[in-house]
Amino acid sequence: MRTRKIPAIGVLIIVAVCATANSTGAMSDDFGSVVKMIEQFYRVKHQGIPFLAKAGMKAATTAARIKGGSARQLAEAGSIKLAVFENQEFNTAGRLTQFRSALNDVLVGSWSPLVQTLSASDGTQTYIFLRDASDKFHVLVVTIEPHDATVVQVTLSPKNLALLMQDPSDMGREITEDASTVDPD
Amino acid sequence: MKLLFQNVIKTLLPGSLLLAALASIATAQEVSRLRLTSLDSLAARASQTVDVNIDERLMHVAATALTGDDSKEIKKLISGVKGIYVKSFEFEHENEYSPADVEDVRSQLRLPGWSKLVNVTSKKEGNVEVYVLFNGDAVGGLAILSTEPKELTVVNIVGPVDLQKLAEFEGEFGIPDLGLEPIKPKAKKEN
Repeated sequence: MRTRKIPAIGVLIIVAVCATANSTGAMSDDFGSVVKMIEQFYRVKHQGIPFLAKAGMKAATTAARIKGGSARQLAEAGSIKLAVFENQEFNTAGRLTQFRSALNDVLVGSWSPLVQTLSASDGTQTYIFLRDASDKFHVLVVTIEPHDATVVQVTLSPKNLALLMQDPSDMGREITEDASTVDPD
Repeated sequence: MKLLFQNVIKTLLPGSLLLAALASIATAQEVSRLRLTSLDSLAARASQTVDVNIDERLMHVAATALTGDDSKEIKKLISGVKGIYVKSFEFEHENEYSPADVEDVRSQLRLPGWSKLVNVTSKKEGNVEVYVLFNGDAVGGLAILSTEPKELTVVNIVGPVDLQKLAEFEGEFGIPDLGLEPIKPKAKKEN
């Protein structure tokens, strides 16, 4: 029987393609649709997640900060999806509400908007959407700044969601910061 | 025939009354939930926009999932609340929004059942109006309309609210600090 050898470079390409697909949730779900929509709307391109962040990301401190207690994990293990846009132009001038409508159109039906904050003065936008995940919740956070953006999806327990909901306007920042921070441990 | 009629009435009446009661609860909730979408167009003119939607499911999560001593007061505060909806706009200049922009909300607050509380005061500048939807003597919903020259905030709480503790909602669940003074007992109503 004749076997076919795949060159090493081919293996590397396959691994890279798989990693990219995984980093945006295979682009087939709502997370991927949101990333694609941002790319089309602002004509930007998301970058793959830094390897360390992907391997070691752990939201360890948010709930602790809120509760003032000992460190504990916020997002459910292995639930984080993250897409990062760095050093690109997010020209929001006069288009904040347009983007908001486009984003809501992508997620309407399956996700509920929890918090949406738009700042025309500094060009930042934060959107938080929720959907049921049996006894837990999926939370999708989109943050747009003049030169950077992130899309984060995590699964939260009802308890952690309830803690974050007490200050919903800060919730997006907390989730995004923790999802993109490597735990030193 | 008469006996049959009486039996049918006896069987159906309790169910009908229950259905009517459920329908009335549902209607009260629908009425206390304001339509705020007419305000969305203000986002294009505002320098800052905040939009918070916490529905019944999420209120239930907050009421049941929070634990610990710190949470007791919050849980008590939101007990029975079916939703909290906030829309807040900050503008760079004065007169960037007009009374016409708020008219759709005001027209809903003129519907039967809603009353404006006259004894509400705020430490902040501008005008803060509090409207309550009464179901008999019970509060079935609440709306706060805060209009400042460069700021507009509408808060809608669906479900029962303890008016004496209204100020405690500030800073919680996306409700901004409106500088509300504690409401004196036996709030006077104005239709």
